[in-house]
Amino acid sequence: MRPSRSVILQIFVITLFAVIIVRLFYLQLIDNSYKQNANNNVLRYEVQNPPRGEIFDRNGEYIVQSKEVYDLMMVPKDVKQFDTLLLCSIVGEPIEGMREKIQKAKRYSWRQGQVILEQLPKEVKIKLDERGFPGFYTVFRTLRSYPRKIAGNLLGYIGKVNERELERDPYYKGGDYIGKTGIELAFEDILRGEKGVRINMVDVHGVVKGSYAEGMYDTVARPGTAITCTIDAELQEFAEELLAGKVGSVVAIEPSTGEILALASSPTYDPDEMVGREVNKNFPRLNSDPRKPFFNRAVMSVYPPGSVFKIVNGLIGLQEGVLKPEYKYYCAGKAGYTGGRGVACHGHTSPLNMIDAIKCSCNAYFCYVLKDILENRKYGGVKNGFDVWEKYVRSFGFGRKLDSDFIDERNGFVPSRETYDQKYRGSWNAFTVISLSIGQGELGVSPLQMANLAATVANRGHYYIPHVVKKIDGRDSIDARFYEPHYTMVESKYFEPMVEGMWRAVHRPEGTARIAQVPGLDICGKTGTAQNPHGADHSTFLSFAPRDNPKIAISVYVEHGRFGGTSAAPIASLLIEKYLTGEVKRPELVEYVKNMQIAYPYYDRQRSK
Amino acid sequence: MTGSGQSNIKSPNIDWVAILIYLALVVIGWVNIYAAVHEDSALSNFSMNSRYGMQLIWIGITMCVAVVLLLLDERFYHMLAYPAYIVGIAVLLLVLVAGKEVNGAKAWINIGSISLQPGEFAKFTTALAVARYMSRYNFSITSLRELIPLAILIGIPPIIIIMQKDAGSALVYTSFLFMLYREGLNGWIHVFFFAFIALFFMSIVMEPLTVLIIIIVACVIFESLRNGHWKQKIIYLAGLALATIILCSTITFLGGNISVYTTLLICSVLSLPAVIVYAYRHRLRNVYMFIALFLTSIIFAPSVDYVFDNIVQPHQRDRILVVISDEVDLKKEGYNYNQSLIAIGSGGIAGKGFLQGTQTQFNFVPEQSTDFIFCTVGEEWGFLGSTVVVTLFCLLILRLMQMGERQRDPFGRVYCYSVAGIFFLHAVINIGMTIGLVPVIGIPLPFFSYGGSSFLAFSILFFVAVRLDAGKRELLRT
Repeated sequence: MRPSRSVILQIFVITLFAVIIVRLFYLQLIDNSYKQNANNNVLRYEVQNPPRGEIFDRNGEYIVQSKEVYDLMMVPKDVKQFDTLLLCSIVGEPIEGMREKIQKAKRYSWRQGQVILEQLPKEVKIKLDERGFPGFYTVFRTLRSYPRKIAGNLLGYIGKVNERELERDPYYKGGDYIGKTGIELAFEDILRGEKGVRINMVDVHGVVKGSYAEGMYDTVARPGTAITCTIDAELQEFAEELLAGKVGSVVAIEPSTGEILALASSPTYDPDEMVGREVNKNFPRLNSDPRKPFFNRAVMSVYPPGSVFKIVNGLIGLQEGVLKPEYKYYCAGKAGYTGGRGVACHGHTSPLNMIDAIKCSCNAYFCYVLKDILENRKYGGVKNGFDVWEKYVRSFGFGRKLDSDFIDERNGFVPSRETYDQKYRGSWNAFTVISLSIGQGELGVSPLQMANLAATVANRGHYYIPHVVKKIDGRDSIDARFYEPHYTMVESKYFEPMVEGMWRAVHRPEGTARIAQVPGLDICGKTGTAQNPHGADHSTFLSFAPRDNPKIAISVYVEHGRFGGTSAAPIASLLIEKYLTGEVKRPELVEYVKNMQIAYPYYDRQRSK
Repeated sequence: MTGSGQSNIKSPNIDWVAILIYLALVVIGWVNIYAAVHEDSALSNFSMNSRYGMQLIWIGITMCVAVVLLLLDERFYHMLAYPAYIVGIAVLLLVLVAGKEVNGAKAWINIGSISLQPGEFAKFTTALAVARYMSRYNFSITSLRELIPLAILIGIPPIIIIMQKDAGSALVYTSFLFMLYREGLNGWIHVFFFAFIALFFMSIVMEPLTVLIIIIVACVIFESLRNGHWKQKIIYLAGLALATIILCSTITFLGGNISVYTTLLICSVLSLPAVIVYAYRHRLRNVYMFIALFLTSIIFAPSVDYVFDNIVQPHQRDRILVVISDEVDLKKEGYNYNQSLIAIGSGGIAGKGFLQGTQTQFNFVPEQSTDFIFCTVGEEWGFLGSTVVVTLFCLLILRLMQMGERQRDPFGRVYCYSVAGIFFLHAVINIGMTIGLVPVIGIPLPFFSYGGSSFLAFSILFFVAVRLDAGKRELLRT
């Protein structure tokens, strides 16, 4: 029997509703993609940027702060009639530009908050809040600020991450800021902190409606850790002041710890110029400056050391026994070394012992010393002697990175036997390389390495790796390598005559650095006048003070500053005086240094092009 | 009269099960309207001016109307059927002239501050009039002469509604086929009806050749289901295929250019005499109906593309394409469809909880308190909640059918089945569109969708059925 039509209809009804239930079963229980889509619709991940860690100087004074700034935002739909002129005068923006920005925001979205102006100072925000423009609000952010405006190259700057940095570390997302140079780069992991995320729910118009799951999945941003660096802000500022207008560098180290007290490179830049809205204008200008303000000469330049290297040769001679402090050599003055290789000298008493040879910086004397080191019969040949010499030189930290805690250190260059074998096709002798005796020739050292030499002499034979960070908040100590003394191959006892020579250079007649003398400070120093292919001689000075139990070792290098005593020594002397006594009692010397005119045709030729 | 009416409300004659189902749907519906329009902020207290407040007022009004409807004598409805129908038509025409346009449809009329949608009430008046007409003494559903006035009766309201540009509401009148099937209308009409719906969608998505093959094979299979003779049908189909291949390759070989579709079409039409011979020899009259179905199908199918591309409105075309095709931009024309599926699909087994649906609370779903109210159910109450609602609708419709079956008088039966059909079509199409089974057609979900007119109209449909049912049982008892 065929079923009645009412039964067929009932089956039909039940079937269609069953189809609906099966479909619901599939949508709601089998297919999971809709849950994901619903989350994509409604959840907005709002990144919470942590304030970046601050940087203090060794005395606890801010040298880098996180400044609060405010972005002006606008929600077009909430904007009521307002006095555009008043708003413009508060934020300091031309009225046409403001109108255009507001129109653009309105076109983009009627309901979403959009940035109208970036990085307004707190004063402007307060004024805006007082007036209360409906539909406008401000959003907090932090920016770097530099109360002292010093140490641009040492501190470095931060900027938006680039493609390469994004690829390297998945922590960063487009638009994040990252340390680009200096301490900001070297200590990025510590300073940046950890981003947090707040998960908000938005409606169909993108308007935030509240936090997701009452904030259960939110993470709090962890602020960056503050760093105390070894820099003495006063000293650093004074060093930059004295170097202003010159091209060169100052590196000051506390010998007993290896802490860098000042690391100045000139020309430098105001670090505030690399922050905020002005960066786009300032960066190209600074970057194209032919004197290269972004080039940190204190660690990146490699120069011939000049006469300061006589210290090293003298110490090697003493240790090797080929030199005794009382040995005297004749100096023919301008006639130069007997070999006729044309190492000239300047007028001074002759003959001299080693101590006075250091005082007068006699070239001839140290030619004999190097010759004796290389031709030592013990090693059976100049080349073998040279190998020994090279090992000694390297033990002073030359020719390699010192493994400091900041980036951009350079190796410098210490020639080896192979260097000359190649250059002279294997045929060379002590005379060929004799300019090494006075720190010329193939040698290349960085100002940092020279300052390290000063610290080594001050310590009578050992040094601590120079470093810029003294303390990281929340940690008991910095890396262990900075607490470990590094000994040179020269025994401590041989340093005393050298120190005496350096003391005499400052304090005795005919001393090359008498200009550096400060009564009562017992400054010891060695001048250098480095010949170079770019123009006038570089002026360099290496010193420490006081003589016993030294507190500061310093290396000053002034490009084309001529004699070491002319420009480098007065700068070092003033800095030592400032550091040890807290004040400078020689205003005329300060004036002398500041008014010093040095021409830099090598750089400035490029500028005029 | 009034006295006996009084007793009706208290009497067990009223189908309290149906009323309970109805009340459950009303309560669940209102809760979901509340969730759909609810704004999560401290400022918004319960407000009578909001949609859920308005709906609550309408529910109150409806309950008063329901009591009155239950109190009235059943003969009153019988008597009122034609006048009500005429008034309904008149108001529909009035709307056409003086109505208010909402969302492109001129289907609203303002009475004071209240907007009413007369189209919703026309369903009720039409159902009453149809019941009255079909309960005439000596009415015969097999007589064409009797059917023509019936067709006119059912056809006038949807024609006016189409003129109001509210195609969705007009479509509802096809739900009378539900009742007509029960009343014994020739089954072929339903066969043609569903065949054409299927053909419509097939012609949009499939190649003409595929559609043609499906038409031929479907006709043969259904004919065989009725009449047997399977072996002959297989021979017929094989012969048709062979003839097509031979003809097609011969013409191509001779340098002609003919498509397989055209060849098959020619071969199948040429085979019709053989089919007629078969029908005559076995005295199978229904074969002629299959031939008619086949012929109308092959004419209808190619015209679908033309109709679809040129007559169907672009937004309607998009709504259809969204369901049957994958090549639709879910950000533009597919947005509603997609957001609706996301809302329901993300509900999971038990839902996100009352007022916790992110899709509905944050307005991602369009029209979520009216046409897409089922999204709120799906998202906040999950599979379990949705199943409860679907089951309640199913039970209500089955109950209405049962109420119709137990009437002796065709008036009550026809009316109950009409109501069941109307609810059925609304529920299936509305829920079907939110879950992507049916193209988006803007018709409300009974008792759920926000809107006073539709809520009141659906309730009137329902309570009159309950009243008629109660009256008949009273008669049976005494």
